[in-house]
This record gives sequence, C-alpha cells and structure tokens, in this order.
Amino acid sequence: MTAGDKRKSSVSDTREEEKDSPFGIWLSRGLHQLFDDVANEPIPDELLRLIEEDRNK
Amino acid sequence: MTFHDQVIAILPKLRVQALSLTRNRAAAEDLVQDAVCNALAAQNSFIPGTNFSAWMHRILRNRFISDLRKRRETTDIDDVPASSFASPATHEDSLALKDLSMALSRLPADQREALVMVVIQGMSYEALAEATDCAVGTAKSRVFRARRQLEAWMSGELPTNDKLRVKVKALRDAMDARHRAGQSSDDLMLS
Repeated sequence: MTAGDKRKSSVSDTREEEKDSPFGIWLSRGLHQLFDDVANEPIPDELLRLIEEDRNK
Repeated sequence: MTFHDQVIAILPKLRVQALSLTRNRAAAEDLVQDAVCNALAAQNSFIPGTNFSAWMHRILRNRFISDLRKRRETTDIDDVPASSFASPATHEDSLALKDLSMALSRLPADQREALVMVVIQGMSYEALAEATDCAVGTAKSRVFRARRQLEAWMSGELPTNDKLRVKVKALRDAMDARHRAGQSSDDLMLS
C-alpha cells in the first residue's frame, strides 16, 4: 500500500465512521428531508427552453 | 451524451448546491438559471472528457460568490431570511427538523455546501474538492467542522441568538399546559 492509498483509506474510514454514528444517521435523514424535494422538483420550462434554444443555435 | 444533455442531467444536483448556498428557494432557482447561462456562454471552454460535473458546480459557485460580492455593496448576507431555507411548513412539521434548518442556516456557506454535497449527493471528498476548487484536506475539514458544529448546536449548545427562541417556546408550552388544565397563566408572564 502506498502513502497515497493510506491517505485515501483513512479519509474514507473517517467518513464512514461519521456517517454511521447515531448523529450522522440522524443528520443524513434530516438533510434528505430538507433537500430531496428540491432535487426532485420538475425543471422549470423556462430553463429547459433556454437550454434547448442554445442547443438549436 | 451531448454538452446540453449533460447540463440538463445535472440540474437537480445544481439545485441542491444552489439551495445549500443561498438558503432560499427562489434565490436558488435564480442562481441555477444564471449558472446555466454562464455555462452555455462558456461551453467552448469545456474540454470534452474532463469532469463536467466539477466544471458545472464550479461555475455555479463562482456565480454565487460574484453575486454575493455585488450584493454586499448594498446589503448584508445575514438579511437573507433563514426561515425560508427549505421546504413548505408541512415538510418541516417536526421541531427537530426546524431546528436543523435553522442551525444549517447559521453555518458558513462553504461548510453548508460541503456537507450537503457529501451527504445528499454522495460526493467523495476528492470530487467535492474538484467541484469547489479547493484541496482535499480543505474539503474534508469543511464537512468535519459542519458536522461537529451542528452536533454541538443540536445537542443543546445553542447559538446565542437562539436562546430567546428557546425561552419563548418554553413559555408557550407552559402556558398551553396551564390552559389545558384550566389554570391562569398570568404569573408566567411575570417570571
């Protein structure tokens, strides 16, 4: 294992630990409740039109 | 996938990033639209085969920073109402979720953005660093500090400005309890 691999593994280990802690699980659920709606809303027609107009230039 | 297809495909992720930065749905929609305009105008500078997602996230972030600088000449960032952070009231019916929303709005924008991109979008620290134009260590530190600060606030270490809110809630709860028991609550207002 290289030093780079060790660094990567340590970063992902910490991330997993934080994610799996009770607070991490609660936080993840809360953030999904706050943000998932936004991600799933339909794209406004005006924005799609803007992109399609540029595509057809 | 063409350049324009890639723009359309990444829109939901841009919205999440925009909301995490602006804390306001209407402002987030405007920011996404402005970022898309910037990206379309700069499409010739995108090198096919390179990381489109990071390129697009950086455009949105730069646009946010540039708008913020302009706005700071006339107003303060804290003027943005924290209560407008996210969803309609029906989706925020639990006190804990409201508290999380308020606590999030108090985080520095770069920490909030980093946390949301990692937790909601499942970004790795490496991808976050590329999307936000910083070192991997900086990206990791932003997420770590955001988590620690939220955990401190949510476990009772409330920010100074929140103390009044907590007192008011306790008073309301006590008054409700007295009303339910048919007792007077006048003395509570004097304590």
